[in-house]
Amino acid sequence: MSYKFYNISVLVVEDNEPMLEITKSLLATFGIGHIYGEKNGKDGFEAFKMINPDIVIADWMMKPMDGISLTRLIRNDPSSPNKFIPIILMNGFSEKRRVIQARDAGVTEFLVKPFNARELYKRIVQVIERPRQFVRAPDFFGPDRRRGRGPTAAPYDGQFRRESDLANPQIIKLIKEREKIAHEKLAKIRAETGLGKGDKFDLAFQDTTDEE
Amino acid sequence: MTQDDIDFTDKEDDDGITRYSQKRLRKAEFITPPNKLKKKVGSGGIADEILNKAQVLLENTEHDFLPLAERYLNLIMQGIETARKNKDHKDNEAVIAGIIYPAMQLKANGGMLHYPLVTQVAERLIHFLEVIETPDDDVIEIITAFHTSIRAVVMGRVAGDGGKYGDELKEALNDACLRYFNKDRKKREESPDYDENF
Repeated sequence: MSYKFYNISVLVVEDNEPMLEITKSLLATFGIGHIYGEKNGKDGFEAFKMINPDIVIADWMMKPMDGISLTRLIRNDPSSPNKFIPIILMNGFSEKRRVIQARDAGVTEFLVKPFNARELYKRIVQVIERPRQFVRAPDFFGPDRRRGRGPTAAPYDGQFRRESDLANPQIIKLIKEREKIAHEKLAKIRAETGLGKGDKFDLAFQDTTDEE
Repeated sequence: MTQDDIDFTDKEDDDGITRYSQKRLRKAEFITPPNKLKKKVGSGGIADEILNKAQVLLENTEHDFLPLAERYLNLIMQGIETARKNKDHKDNEAVIAGIIYPAMQLKANGGMLHYPLVTQVAERLIHFLEVIETPDDDVIEIITAFHTSIRAVVMGRVAGDGGKYGDELKEALNDACLRYFNKDRKKREESPDYDENF
């Protein structure tokens, strides 16, 4: 069984024509049913209101309206048809303060350019499999900015683990416990076989130990 | 809020995290919206072959980077000219921001359109621009060197990482930045306002 991407629609807002085309082509290859493109935040918001897509992928730096302003409109404007929509922001910046700036505007995921097909796919999977709860505060509305903390941030150690999950003390504890077990197993294997630290061994050997 | 409002007792929350029990300063409502997206797409992900196909498509894209690069290089040059005219350094932040934008675009698009060396060089330029405070003559000289280098890579159609040439280019630009920072540090240390504890 695989994702029924043909059931969903994505709005891509990007002022750079080649990048818009590339992103749309990648999404089409993934099998996304309906892909719409707009060239700036202003037109993007108008299209968003009309189409009401399932995901918005926007570039940060656009004129006359950038991706951050578009995000704020989607999250807060009374005419917005879906304030909870996942928004993936594409950008060339990778500095932490830029990520924080995007997060504070209500962005769901951040995609650093240049990116590859898997990185784009991974962000889409994140918004499907690990949606974030929303917070409504006097000065903020958007996805919960406290990743790895808070009431809904239960420790997660699955295949969709984010780097920020490592901020959760329970996850750190879990990882340390696993490391301890792995070290013990490795020591046992070395003791039984007489292998040294630099010696390689077949992983199948470890599986046998697991069965014990 | 006063000190009396704070309960300094360590308390372990339901999630197992110990927090100081401080009164909440503001009210926040938590909402868990229905995951309509998940309902629509179901489970299972997509096949690796599809991802590989998408990657091949990305790697074989025929979009020409040259016109884009020209546009952003011209914007960097305009930024350099503005910085040269900004003798009183009143608009330093705006001047730097005006150069960061095209540099970021070069970094973002170079790698997507077969010019990873442009991405690497532009990234170094962004890092440099993110830490400088005053776009003085030394800074302008370095930015101009970055501009010239990126232009040479694009005009010379140096696709890929540029091999040895790419490494030498990045090293030379790194050295130029380091020389600037050393000179700048020395200048600060010699300044009468210098505070070594700051």
